[in-house]
Amino acid sequence: MSAAGLERPQVVVHAQQSLNYTVFDCKWVPRSARLLCLGSAPRGTGVLQLYELRGGRLLLLSEIEKAKPIKCATFGAASLQQRHLATGDFAGSLSIWNLEAPEIPVYSVKGHKEIINSIDGVGGLGIGEGAPEIVTGSRDGNAYNQEERVVCAGYDNGDIKLFDLRTMSLRWETNIKNGVCSVEFDRKDVNMNKLVATSLEGKFHVFDMRTQHPTKGFASVSEKAHKSTIWQVRHLPQNRDVFMTSGGAGSLHLWKYEYPAQRSKKDSEGAEMGVAGSVSLLQNVTLSTQPISSLDWSPDKKGLCVCGAFDQTVRVLIVTKLNKV
Amino acid sequence: MGDESIMYSLDQGTTKTYQIPIGHLDYKFIEKCTDVQHLEKILRVLRSGEEGCYPDLTLFCEKRIEHLAPGSRVLRKDKPAATAADFTAEEWETINGELMSWVAEMNEDDNKPEFLKTGTLHEGQDNLPPIRCSSSCLPAFQNEKFQNKQRNKKNIPRDYSEWDKFDVEKECSKIDESSEENNSKARFVSRPPPPLIEKQVNTTGMTKKEKIFIATREKEKGNEAFASGDYVEAVTYYARSISILPTAAAYNNKAQAEIKLQDWDSALQDCEKVLDMEPSNVKEIVLPVRGEAALGKAEMGNAQRKFHSKGGGSKLEDRGTQKQKESTESGLKKGTEEKKSQKTDHEGEANGYLNSNQTSESPEAGQSSRSHGAGSLSAGAAHSTSLPPAAAKLKSEGNELFKSGQFGEAVPKYSEAIEYVISVGERSPDDLSILYSNRAACYLKGGNCSDCVQDCNRALELQPFSLKPLLRRAMAYESMERYRQAYVDYKTVLQIDSSIQAANDSVNRITKTLIDQDGSSWREKLPPIPVVPIAAQLNRWDGGNFTSEVKPKSPTDINKEEQLQMNREKGEEKFRTLKNEGNDFVKKGKYDEAVNKYSECLKLNTKDCTIYTNRALCYLKLHKYEEAKQDCDHVLQIEDCNIKAFYRRALAYKGLQIYQASVDDLKKVLLIDPNVLEAKKELEEITQLLSLGGVAVADCQQKQRKKITIQEVTDEQEEGQLETAEDVVADNLSSKEAVQKCVPSRTCEKLTISEPSNAYDFGQIVNAVNASKDQSACADLLTITDPKKLPVLLSNKLEGEIFLIFIQSLAHYILGKDPGLVYQHLFYLSKAERFKVVLALLSKNEKEQVQRLFDLLTENQNHQYSLEELDSLKKVYEL
Repeated sequence: MSAAGLERPQVVVHAQQSLNYTVFDCKWVPRSARLLCLGSAPRGTGVLQLYELRGGRLLLLSEIEKAKPIKCATFGAASLQQRHLATGDFAGSLSIWNLEAPEIPVYSVKGHKEIINSIDGVGGLGIGEGAPEIVTGSRDGNAYNQEERVVCAGYDNGDIKLFDLRTMSLRWETNIKNGVCSVEFDRKDVNMNKLVATSLEGKFHVFDMRTQHPTKGFASVSEKAHKSTIWQVRHLPQNRDVFMTSGGAGSLHLWKYEYPAQRSKKDSEGAEMGVAGSVSLLQNVTLSTQPISSLDWSPDKKGLCVCGAFDQTVRVLIVTKLNKV
Repeated sequence: MGDESIMYSLDQGTTKTYQIPIGHLDYKFIEKCTDVQHLEKILRVLRSGEEGCYPDLTLFCEKRIEHLAPGSRVLRKDKPAATAADFTAEEWETINGELMSWVAEMNEDDNKPEFLKTGTLHEGQDNLPPIRCSSSCLPAFQNEKFQNKQRNKKNIPRDYSEWDKFDVEKECSKIDESSEENNSKARFVSRPPPPLIEKQVNTTGMTKKEKIFIATREKEKGNEAFASGDYVEAVTYYARSISILPTAAAYNNKAQAEIKLQDWDSALQDCEKVLDMEPSNVKEIVLPVRGEAALGKAEMGNAQRKFHSKGGGSKLEDRGTQKQKESTESGLKKGTEEKKSQKTDHEGEANGYLNSNQTSESPEAGQSSRSHGAGSLSAGAAHSTSLPPAAAKLKSEGNELFKSGQFGEAVPKYSEAIEYVISVGERSPDDLSILYSNRAACYLKGGNCSDCVQDCNRALELQPFSLKPLLRRAMAYESMERYRQAYVDYKTVLQIDSSIQAANDSVNRITKTLIDQDGSSWREKLPPIPVVPIAAQLNRWDGGNFTSEVKPKSPTDINKEEQLQMNREKGEEKFRTLKNEGNDFVKKGKYDEAVNKYSECLKLNTKDCTIYTNRALCYLKLHKYEEAKQDCDHVLQIEDCNIKAFYRRALAYKGLQIYQASVDDLKKVLLIDPNVLEAKKELEEITQLLSLGGVAVADCQQKQRKKITIQEVTDEQEEGQLETAEDVVADNLSSKEAVQKCVPSRTCEKLTISEPSNAYDFGQIVNAVNASKDQSACADLLTITDPKKLPVLLSNKLEGEIFLIFIQSLAHYILGKDPGLVYQHLFYLSKAERFKVVLALLSKNEKEQVQRLFDLLTENQNHQYSLEELDSLKKVYEL
């Protein structure tokens, strides 16, 4: 490798742990060196494991088995003091857990008839003010919440829809032609800035959400990577312009979004329209032969992230030199 | 590429995928191919191995693509995660160490949970924000309207008693209101405005850890907004971060964002905050920012007159930032109260570089005491003894006031002092000059530029070429936008002391402005720059002693030494920057400016050969061969085997048309390094010129010297730059490529002398003309050639091409002037040898051209030839 290559961020596997169940999601517990893995055991029950990072290894602290497989989880609506976990399971229930007493949920509600595929929250972790809110998405896609009180959902037919919760209306929709696997705003607690949507056939789209044109909507740039489904996209919590995508072939790509010189311009009729920037690849690594289905950056330690793959392994990664990008 | 690819495909077939000719899977092809997409296809074929496995070729192809398009997707390879082997031991250590310490920190926090939690009630119910629902977020007036509506609804079936109380006007105004609200609602729906971000964050009930966490997060948001160019948002987030937990970094970043927004005052304020919080951090981060802020403020001052006072001064401050840093450092070393100094520093603005110039006479004296100790002040006092005591007192009072920033009050003090000195009638021009100069400083600070200029003028009358009045006048002129005068003054200042960075920068800045204003001829509009007598010049390399002449009251010796040291360092630094600037100009092709830079460099250091060779290059580009030669000579005196100097002198000699000397120099170049291709080429060319020149010079000497343009085709020149030599006297014979424009005039001149002699000469010219397809030259040739001699001159050399160019030039050039001559030529051309053969081989298109010529001849028929004659000639031409 050339000397210049070493200046780029590098991805190091710090620790890895093989599991005896299929891991669907993994999450860092805020303000701690612990992480949660959750998924489905072979016999069809749900598993929730709490690990702690210690001396380069993952140490199992506790394990709970639940009736239904758990698909997704978030700390997004939890306060830093409580750190309650919100999960969505295969039966369509949203549950909130106190990890110190995980036997019974703090709160549980059946929100969907079918599986909850995605979950996200705002108002917790010091991200954004106002009441904590959780949004869930079922069979019909993914959903994510944001400070501007909008929810974005991606559908398997390629539709992306942006709902405004203040007016309870559809604010914008588009179609990216292929099933949407994951959508995420670069930050939840700022005015809508950027949205990344990944798709089944290995493309992802970055939308600049600052300027909405009356007819053209938001400007976007797309990039092809992974040569397979992009399962997940996650923005670096400490720098919204850096994000990682995880692919169906067990690969991770680290990207950086570069803003254009002018983020908006006037069209021929004088309406403001956005100008998309460009994305550049910072680093790519292949960790597994199976899809990496979940990815989570540590909110506390820049460059630390955890990913769970369908080879039933969870890996703790360190991404170096993120300060220099 | 077209032909080759066909050839290859015929030879070897194509690849299965993409149908690329097999021949393209080749080092030579890949090396030359610039079509990235094609190369990517080739790479895919190579990687697939369907045509066999060629690891080296694949690697070569990858490298080529990387060279052409570093971001190409095919270059992305599956890579395993990095391991310890990819890092140096230290890096690996830090990566792991950092993580371990983070883990330890986190665990520590966990072990004392009370540290994270606020205590008993960790989230009081009253602390929780209200639950949001779709209507709760609607603006307040909409809620009101909602209520109104309800009330209205309720009111619609009114009973009679209610109608009694009905107020028509009130109800009308209500309706108006609601319609307004409707409008605003419509707008709201069409485009919801982004919610306003609050500048304050509610931090009640947060632990310190939480605060740090959130403050950092807000700062990061600010950084991101800054990166995306949204500075207003960035400022807001920094303010939020500060409202949670004030940190120096957040203030500093906020200042930077404010600079971008040109909110200079806030930026300066924030900088002050940083300085208050972290005085030790001053040098690296804050000063540049504050300097920028001050500069911006100054520029604004230029635009808006009322800020003039701050303008002139703080601009200076920025320019002096470098020096200020030094003075601050030295201040720190001396253990003076640094904070105080920071502040004076800010208010006193103009001090930075003046300190370094050993000034003791003026208000600044007080400030220089800040970094140089009390020496200078006492020196100032000692000096003022030469004034009458009353005046001295007034002056020192003025100085005090100036120091404390009360410029307005200082003016009358100085004025009184001046009046007193004049009334007393003591002729001490030095002191009077200083008083005027000081008053000028006050005026400048107060923004009264015209009075400042007047005082400076008086000071300069009394004390010509004294530094400070000049500098102040320059600044005043600059703020008055009288850039030419300012330029002249700054230049004069630089003649006196070339190390004043502020003046240097100002000169550059003004040069730009003037160029914008007056275009390239801006220099012509300048008033003359006075020449400073050597006695008044400071800070030359050997100029240390002069200081005492001009400024007999330099403070202490220690200061002097420090100064000298500082100046020397500054000199070197300046030398480097000048050189770099010069090099940059060369790269941009601005040779004029580059020469100026290099010349300034040479003022600082006369021993650096590279400057001379660089300047020589510029002179070459500017066709100032004599100067180039002199520079090279100079280098060669210092360093007798400098290859660049030899080469450039050769080029200069070539330009001066001293070919023999040029050849000699080139030979020397090749002696030193035989691999210099340019030199070889030049040598060949010049040798040719030399041999040709022998004849030509003789020829042309007979004729009068006449100006013609010569265009040299000098592709092989160093930078590949095309030189167009203008107004070069034509006692030189151009190389054989020199055809285009110069050929016509030159051919005919030659022909008048040599043409009649023989067929060989004629053939040579015809070949040259034919090679360049120059019809006008050919026409000239034909005009001066006697048609009767044409068959003889052509002998058996007539060819299709020659025939054609004859026809074309006859048609386009000669026909208009002299149809008779055309007829004559055509007639005799038909008598030439090989005419029939050439005619038989003419293409249809070419025949048409001949036909057209005859048609034109028929139209322009005159007494020189009859129509019958023309018809018979036509038959000869088989038309």
